[in-house]
Amino acid sequence: MTIFKKSISNRKLPDFFSAIVVLVLSVTLLAPATVRAMIIGETGSHFNLTASEGYISIADGGSIYSWGYSNNGTMQLPGPTLIVDQGTTVTITLNNNLPAAAGNTSIVFPGHQVTTSSGVAGQITQEAPVGGSVTYSFVANTPGTYQYHSGTRPDLQIEMGLYGAIIVRPSSPAVGCSVASAYDHPKTCYDREYLYLLSEIDIDIHEAAQQQATGPGPIDVGSGPFHPEYWLLNGRAAPDTMASAGTSLLPNQPYNAMTRMHPGEKILLRVVGAGRDMHPFHTHGNHSQVLARDGRLLLSATDSSQLAGPLLFTIPAAPGGTVDAIFGWTGKDLGWDIYGHKPSDPMEEHEWAPDHGKPIPVELPSLSSMAFGGFYSGSPFLGAMGSLPPGEGGLNPNAGYAYMWHSHTEREMVNNDVFPGGMMTMLIIEAPSVVITE
Amino acid sequence: MKLQRNISMNSVINLSSTIFLLLFITLGVSAQESSINVQCPKGTGTLIHPGANNPGIKCMHLAAGDGMVTMADNYQNTGAGKPMYVFSFAELPLPGVDGAPTENSGDYPGWVMDQGMLAANAPAPTIAIDEDDELFLSMTNVGMAMRPDLFDPHTIHWHGFAEASALFDGVPDASISINMGATLTYYYQAKDAGTYMYHCHVEAAEHMQMGMLGNLFVRPRQNRCDTINDSSIPGGICPDGHISGVSTYAYNDGDGSTRYDVEYPIQIGSFDPDFHDASFNVQPLPFAGMRDRYFLLNGRGYPDTVNPNALSTVDPLGNTQVSQPISSLISASPGQRILLRISNLSVTQFYTIGTSGLTMNVVGLDARLLRDGAGNNMNYQTNSLTLGGGQSADVIITTPATAGTYFLYTKNLDQLANDAENFGGMMTEIRIN
Ligand SMILES: [Cu+2]
Repeated sequence: MTIFKKSISNRKLPDFFSAIVVLVLSVTLLAPATVRAMIIGETGSHFNLTASEGYISIADGGSIYSWGYSNNGTMQLPGPTLIVDQGTTVTITLNNNLPAAAGNTSIVFPGHQVTTSSGVAGQITQEAPVGGSVTYSFVANTPGTYQYHSGTRPDLQIEMGLYGAIIVRPSSPAVGCSVASAYDHPKTCYDREYLYLLSEIDIDIHEAAQQQATGPGPIDVGSGPFHPEYWLLNGRAAPDTMASAGTSLLPNQPYNAMTRMHPGEKILLRVVGAGRDMHPFHTHGNHSQVLARDGRLLLSATDSSQLAGPLLFTIPAAPGGTVDAIFGWTGKDLGWDIYGHKPSDPMEEHEWAPDHGKPIPVELPSLSSMAFGGFYSGSPFLGAMGSLPPGEGGLNPNAGYAYMWHSHTEREMVNNDVFPGGMMTMLIIEAPSVVITE
Repeated sequence: MKLQRNISMNSVINLSSTIFLLLFITLGVSAQESSINVQCPKGTGTLIHPGANNPGIKCMHLAAGDGMVTMADNYQNTGAGKPMYVFSFAELPLPGVDGAPTENSGDYPGWVMDQGMLAANAPAPTIAIDEDDELFLSMTNVGMAMRPDLFDPHTIHWHGFAEASALFDGVPDASISINMGATLTYYYQAKDAGTYMYHCHVEAAEHMQMGMLGNLFVRPRQNRCDTINDSSIPGGICPDGHISGVSTYAYNDGDGSTRYDVEYPIQIGSFDPDFHDASFNVQPLPFAGMRDRYFLLNGRGYPDTVNPNALSTVDPLGNTQVSQPISSLISASPGQRILLRISNLSVTQFYTIGTSGLTMNVVGLDARLLRDGAGNNMNYQTNSLTLGGGQSADVIITTPATAGTYFLYTKNLDQLANDAENFGGMMTEIRIN
């Protein structure tokens, strides 16, 4: 932060977000075309993952040497999200295209019973030697959210980016779900799903690895204290988390974390702790109902038709763990009509009827007394644009309600020493009439 | 207590106060055109301050600015604790109440700026209201007297408010925030009992490390079951075993399981003195390098946590101001039930807090009663509770039948420290007597 903040105080947020305006407005679909409301990833049963080196970018201009996986394509961070159906025998061939100094590499699949073929023996699993490969196989028995990551020198290789998420879809969606379900259980219905994979970067380790990558190896990054300077959501640091998925500006970070929904919808959050620190992931706007941890549905001990997980406004993401949770929002019990209706106006879908036609009980300050966020439409009402001073707003073209979703360890909302950034994205609740394309 | 500062800073401070006073006069003029506007509906006849244990329309006025607080160490052998520069909130009486001028008097804006100047508390004033209340929460940005180069707006984020509107959620990127010399009135209907927290969300890593953090909780409707007596609404009828007139439950539990005798909000936090000093000295702020070294409960380290009185600190203009009003000394009689409303608003790490010799019964998490979907009680007993920033828990401790002193302390033992002094930090006493 600079000493003289006046010049940037109110201008800073629009500047900060300006890089993503165009991206948010012109959403590009990844090929192959994704199913509406579903997490982007690689589907099927056989995956050919190659571990190789590359660079990821951070919004502060940094370019960080990293290692990542690709599935017949470009090295990416995190690795491809592998989306498989329950009951599938999943086969993953890992090719080691890392620099020779990195040595062997491997993948472990916590939560799955893995058999291996080929490769060479390693400490905890079969490994792919430099230039070689190894094949892993498991049956995806239980639906849910899992992770995969390097099982070789994990302190170095996971830090460098060798991790990703696995989603196992139930073989048949639960009865009564109109779109999809996370598990074969009617309390797990959802309309849209989003991935939040949380990780950190300690730049010292990446720089040491880069310097030694062309040497004889093995790479020595020391064993000093872990001091990350960058915090990532789905491999990106804010504001890039809100840029479109698959943007050509971030070729090695294809996944975004921008979240959109309508009032009354249920969205499924798949929260993955892929780094080595715990992060309290705070969902502004409402509580989330925890469905499952580590791919295991939490049901009532006395009535298996009911859930047992807590309602949380902050989801702790622990290293190696996953949480599935359902988030919804209707604007219930605010005491005023979020659409600014008159009592005689028709109701919106999912509108909270007791508040219909009620005005906001307070007057807002004069425009000159307020500062405005880039995601503020200028109107307090959902879907309405209001007048803003020149240069304000502009990031929320449909005038949705915007909520920040972020690590509540706020020092992780920076890119090195620059706030805001890091482990942060936005939820936009769009008015019912707005078509959400992903 | 004397502030520790280098010589060159004195001139900055004098300059600061001069600039601030000039600014304050300027703002005073424009404020008379009603940018300091504490909105509180008076026509209803039920104007109540937060803290009153009955439902209605409640109003509260917070000044957002800066101030000084005192840490619990013997700082550089001065015989006094380290003075720590903070940003935070201070509660002001409502217009026309407790000596405050009426809102239409020309004195009011100047009075607000004067009262709010360097008055920040750690933690911020507690907001305690009742389910079914309507809260009109006004916040006036009085500016940072020691940082006249800053023109930061502020907000209030009611952390955990269910079904929040973006308008009153306090995220500056997503809505509105309030500039210096003006007031924003937030409106909330409290419909969900539980332990929340609040903080400013502007430049969150900075303003929160600087201390803009407070306790916030909502008492359940079940406390009023004697008078409501309506089985059709949650908490509307009294649970079995209810003693008429006993009105202290943590939640609408329906079975009396969250009844308590005494309650204490316990907010976990921590400060990095280098960050606060850098802010005070108008230096670049270390974000990635943030390392908290003062470990606090309600803004104090042990042994200040067990001082039953409000702590005061001399501000840089030489005035003694209340700085840390909330004692964390937990007192109860033998056999009583203690409710601890524990929240963590550290911006740097998770903390584990636990007891010695007493069992903690966790009945609520994140402002929700722990029940499964079938209604089974999912409370659990423990001796340690781990919370990240932005998490809360409701813990009931049933005290033994005999007098004694116990401890509530962090189990991260290196955090039982006030900076360099390795005895103190995140600890308080539970005294049964
Ligand atoms: Cu603030």
